[in-house]
Amino acid sequence: MNLLSLKGIVKSFNGVTVLKGVDLNVEKGTVHALLGENGAGKSTLMNVLTGVYTRDKGTMEFDGEIIESISIKQSEQLGIAFVHQELNLFNDLKVYENIFLGKEYVNKFGKLDKKRMIAESRQLFHDLGVDIDPTELADNLTTSQKQLLEISKALFFKAKLLILDEPTTALNTEEIEHLFQIINELKQNGTSFIFISHKMPEIFTLCDRYTIFRNGEFIEEGIIKDITPERVTKLMVGEGYNEKKEVYKPRTVGDVVLRLEDFTGPGFNNVSLEVKKGQVIGLTGLQGAGSSELLQCMFGLVQPTSGFMELYGEKIKEYSIHKIMRKGMAMLPANRKENSVVPDMNLLENMYLSEHTLSAFNPHIYKTREKHKFEYYKKILNIKAQSFNNSILSLSGGNQQKVFIAKWLNTDAEILLFDNPTQGIDVGAKAEIYRLILELANEGKTILINTLEIPEIQKVADYCAVFYEGNLVKILQHNEIDETTVMLYSTNAISNGR
Amino acid sequence: MVTKENRGTLSWKKISRFCGEYSFILVFILIFLVYVLTCNGLTWAGMMNIFRHSAIIGIIAIGMGLICLTGEIDLSVGSMLALNAGFAVVIFNMTNSIILTFLFCIVFGGVCGLINGFLVGYIKMPAFIVSLATMLIFRSFAQYFCQKIDKNLLGGGSSVYRMSREMHSYDAMFGFGNGKILTLPIVGIVLILLTLFFVYISTSTKYGKKIYAVGSNAKAAEMSGINVSAMKISVFTITGILVGIGAFLWISMNASADPATTGNSYEMYAIAAVVLGGISMSGGKGKCIGIFFGALSYTIIDKIIVALKMDSLINDAIKGIILILVIMIQIVGPQLKAKFLVKK
Repeated sequence: MNLLSLKGIVKSFNGVTVLKGVDLNVEKGTVHALLGENGAGKSTLMNVLTGVYTRDKGTMEFDGEIIESISIKQSEQLGIAFVHQELNLFNDLKVYENIFLGKEYVNKFGKLDKKRMIAESRQLFHDLGVDIDPTELADNLTTSQKQLLEISKALFFKAKLLILDEPTTALNTEEIEHLFQIINELKQNGTSFIFISHKMPEIFTLCDRYTIFRNGEFIEEGIIKDITPERVTKLMVGEGYNEKKEVYKPRTVGDVVLRLEDFTGPGFNNVSLEVKKGQVIGLTGLQGAGSSELLQCMFGLVQPTSGFMELYGEKIKEYSIHKIMRKGMAMLPANRKENSVVPDMNLLENMYLSEHTLSAFNPHIYKTREKHKFEYYKKILNIKAQSFNNSILSLSGGNQQKVFIAKWLNTDAEILLFDNPTQGIDVGAKAEIYRLILELANEGKTILINTLEIPEIQKVADYCAVFYEGNLVKILQHNEIDETTVMLYSTNAISNGR
Repeated sequence: MVTKENRGTLSWKKISRFCGEYSFILVFILIFLVYVLTCNGLTWAGMMNIFRHSAIIGIIAIGMGLICLTGEIDLSVGSMLALNAGFAVVIFNMTNSIILTFLFCIVFGGVCGLINGFLVGYIKMPAFIVSLATMLIFRSFAQYFCQKIDKNLLGGGSSVYRMSREMHSYDAMFGFGNGKILTLPIVGIVLILLTLFFVYISTSTKYGKKIYAVGSNAKAAEMSGINVSAMKISVFTITGILVGIGAFLWISMNASADPATTGNSYEMYAIAAVVLGGISMSGGKGKCIGIFFGALSYTIIDKIIVALKMDSLINDAIKGIILILVIMIQIVGPQLKAKFLVKK
């Protein structure tokens, strides 16, 4: 029997159709894998399901009821709980306060009944076999505890359907096993799950059924037992899977331009690395493994505590963004919306901002000259925009990202740090960004990319540095890079003798 | 049929965009029309009088506008005006020099602004609290020193800083503050020149664009290599300098400065002018030219109340109501538009 059935869901943002009529059927008491590449529309559909976005078209049926429109609150009441990939906990509140937020128990005078809330939280954790103290501050929990807290919270309010969006990224093997055990028990009791993950082994051990999306379209649904990981990948990626792989060509590289020695800072320790002109280096590791923090520190956003960085043989003394920029380095930060987008500015203004900090001694803006530059980058980066006057918010993620690449190319930087450059970008634009990266490398730019998506590194990187808990654990040459090997090192499943 | 409809929506779009971007001109025209209807007989002299009375608020509001564009606020400008004007009178009485008085105003204003800016930009204290504190400090200093300074330096006044008539520069100074060039008040011309200068800064210089970037998304601005702290320090300092210029105009217009009343509530009037001028208090949005119209609109409201022979005590209530109405339209308008578009 279907607990949930979504049919023909259509959703578009600013004229870009993200969901092109997709279906999803979840049976009662099963774990349903929702599969697709980043940008395939999984998260959007989940947001439609939980009432964050309103659907443009399509029908929704939950627990035998046809649901016309849904708000976040209604979805909660229906028993749909969304455990987000980025955790939605209040770090300044205690664990039990997080669980009962908005649904607090009060005595007849309206005073909070803390004792009862703490006791019930403790019972809940005991039942689930989770080791968390209800009176602890949420901020003090480890990432995995936070993840378990989110799940426990959903279960406490008798959720019938739990959406788990990549719940295992921050967990170690043991914790993952424990989580799966809990999920299996709950499944026996009739709770259903939608499980979103990129890790094939997990999907094949845990899930019962699957649905595959590609590019906002429904591709296939079926029983996990009837399909192989290879076929899933093929369906997710679609045609041209092999063709894309062949983009990489070995390049001639120049002298060492960037050297790190025992570079240590918040989140990473003793990183030593040598990068030659024209190389493309992939950095990877689980969330919080230190590769992103390393890039931020190299760009002067945070100060290193020991060790040093050398650019063109010159030791860097002052780690400030502006000083580092003057040395010819640029960084495309992760979380585009927070760290790159200046929402009140148009495309041109967003593009020239960085270069203007370097040429501030000439205060006047020569508009015609700037426009020419913009047109130039628009052409070579293939930015799809009508006019330089458009708001940056009117562009799709991929085109926004290209504007920011233009912003940094405009500073004539030779060393480019890309932190998760394809975050929230659709598949087509992703391929284009990687093609651009290779082109830039061919022109002699040196590029460091931090990403969690190994296939992307495979496509472009000369070698790949794998991080685990702040340490650089392994350097894999181009031909050694593959998803399983990288995964093994980034989860510390094999140690390399360190 | 289709093309006609398209044309219709296009021009409608253009109009609504214009109204959105230049709402301050609509507000100004509306208030001006009310003024024309109530003042029985529009005269050139009357209009120039509005201009004259807008000058100081307008100049201070330019600084306030820059600060608001970075997403901060400065509550101390009114007290700073009083302190600066008071000390400038003392300097004038001591030196008998217009130029030295002017230089003092600018430097002293700059230092006052730098203090605010340092605390907000470098120490990263909330601007609201910092400027609230300096507001109290500046005002208190102005009143305290007025009691303690040698009476001769106060121009013989007891609780007022008064420019001494015995100084032979007195006439030149007073003449500057009350003079006219081709029927235009000199102080009004100063306002226009400063407005033009800052319109240029905000639209066509790298510095100006950085102000917007800091207010729009400070994190992204920092990641682009902009020194956000330095930007904040600089806008507070510029505001201090503008307040200094305002103080110089004040004493040249009035020949005195009363530490208790000079610049009272000016921070609020300046903020009101900024908001009427269409600058967003959360930063990053708005046009410098709007502040000019905002300040004029604000002064005209004063004149309307006088023309209607209403009690002057009701003045601030009416200003407050108009402010609420204007902001309400600015905020509710886009929301209604969005709703209308969704339904369509």
